[in-house]
Amino acid sequence: MTDPAFFDGIIKILFVCVIITAAYIITTKNLISLVRVYALQSLTLVLIALALYWYEGTGILLFIALITLVFKVIVIPYFIATVQEKIRIKRDIEFHFLSPTSSLLISLALMLIIYIALSRILGDTLAKGSIGSPFFFGAVIGISLVLMGMMVTFSRKKAITKVLGYLSMENGVLLFGLFATELPFIIEFLIIIDLVILILLTTILTVGIDSTLEEYHNRLHRFYLWEEQEESP
Amino acid sequence: MIADFLVYGIINTLCVVLISPLFVSMIKKVKAWSQGRQGPSVFQTYYTLAKLLKKEVIYSPNASWIMRITPWACIAAVLVASLFVPLVFVTEPFGGIGNIILFLYLLVLARFFMALGGLDAGSAFGGMGSSREMSISAVIEPTTIIVFAALAFVFKSLNIFDMVAVSAAAGIPVSPTLILIGISLFIILIVETSRLPVDNPETHLELTMIHEGMILEQSGRNLALMELTAAIKQTLLMALLINLLVPWGLATTLSFAAVAVAIGLFAVKGVILSLVIGLFESSMAKMRFFRLPSLFMMAFFFSTLTIIIEVFA
Repeated sequence: MTDPAFFDGIIKILFVCVIITAAYIITTKNLISLVRVYALQSLTLVLIALALYWYEGTGILLFIALITLVFKVIVIPYFIATVQEKIRIKRDIEFHFLSPTSSLLISLALMLIIYIALSRILGDTLAKGSIGSPFFFGAVIGISLVLMGMMVTFSRKKAITKVLGYLSMENGVLLFGLFATELPFIIEFLIIIDLVILILLTTILTVGIDSTLEEYHNRLHRFYLWEEQEESP
Repeated sequence: MIADFLVYGIINTLCVVLISPLFVSMIKKVKAWSQGRQGPSVFQTYYTLAKLLKKEVIYSPNASWIMRITPWACIAAVLVASLFVPLVFVTEPFGGIGNIILFLYLLVLARFFMALGGLDAGSAFGGMGSSREMSISAVIEPTTIIVFAALAFVFKSLNIFDMVAVSAAAGIPVSPTLILIGISLFIILIVETSRLPVDNPETHLELTMIHEGMILEQSGRNLALMELTAAIKQTLLMALLINLLVPWGLATTLSFAAVAVAIGLFAVKGVILSLVIGLFESSMAKMRFFRLPSLFMMAFFFSTLTIIIEVFA
């Protein structure tokens, strides 16, 4: 239907963008740009889904692109950004276990391992010659993105960056779903609903996870998360 | 064939010598603008070089012959290296010229003599600058090699002429992975020309200077040669980045019109790249010395990734 070589080129450029954003999410210390880059990564996934739709013509891809655009590019980043503005944390410079530099090195090694593992697992099920196609490489990048997100989740100290690591993991699942298997639309939708709930819960818990219930209400006020007026007794 | 190459050599060398100071002062101008100053004229580096060439050379009483040959060795090394990078016109490589490993080693030779010259005069600043420069280059060297290895993987050749010829024939970046290599090359450009997150080119503050510390003892004509060496090195790395990433307009046949157009386009592209470098530098603060490896690691990550993608995908 369309020129495969051109499709390959487009998909490769988008993969490169995904990898650049993933590397940025691992290394950056600036929270505001972290959220922006997450939105950019999701936007790249939208573009990948659209490119796949253009290549394959499956209508479900359009829906996936649509809900990714609405939730992951607009709603979730907007929500995190507003919460960040309120709790006034600008930078996350504390790391557990791994410095960003070693995380980058480890993610390189992870990619290689995943490539080898996947080529053994999928090598039998996929048709001959499909190793090396963008579909196979998309699956590799998807799983690497999951593991890189996991690394962000455990190497950062602030809860809000942990959440972003989790979100980037979810992006990896979506990428894997787009390329390796046919992820049912309903599951993708449920995952997104879960994500929204999770973001809501964590942004609230970020403020008050170590407090008692009485103190918690006060903290919500202190961080301006609860704008409602106190009723006078 | 040989005549072609001779013409290429003359055009290339003239181009690189004449255009390098322009890029240097362009970057200064952009930085001045971003700080709200007017800045020196874009021809200031030419005036400075002309003035320095007329001035007397003074050697420290402690200096040996190394101090005397350093500027000449440096300028000779980078001028030979400049023959390896086609700026405006690609021809058939002749006599093994264009080999990427030799190119890197010529740049390292210039750096080696620069560091020796810094030590030779016996001033404390020179020694400090040399030792810092050598530590940084020891850390950046593996990254540089990996970046150029990635280039060789993408273009399936070790010869810069072949690479540039392939990308000039294509007119657009030949592979999407060149975006990744572009980032790595940009980081290498910043490090090799001692620009801001690594070294501040404008200061003579003893705590931070690296490149300036080494040439502190040079004077007169020798200083002019050292400045020109730095400028040419920067132009060469910029030319690599430009001619591999946005190669359109490069002349492949020897005709006056094509070469003239190519020179004009190269100047425009170089000025744009200088703008980018200047803005990048203005937006960065100097990094602490021991944080630098994380910057190099970015370049290493992207170029290794390129190799992985090129081999597997």
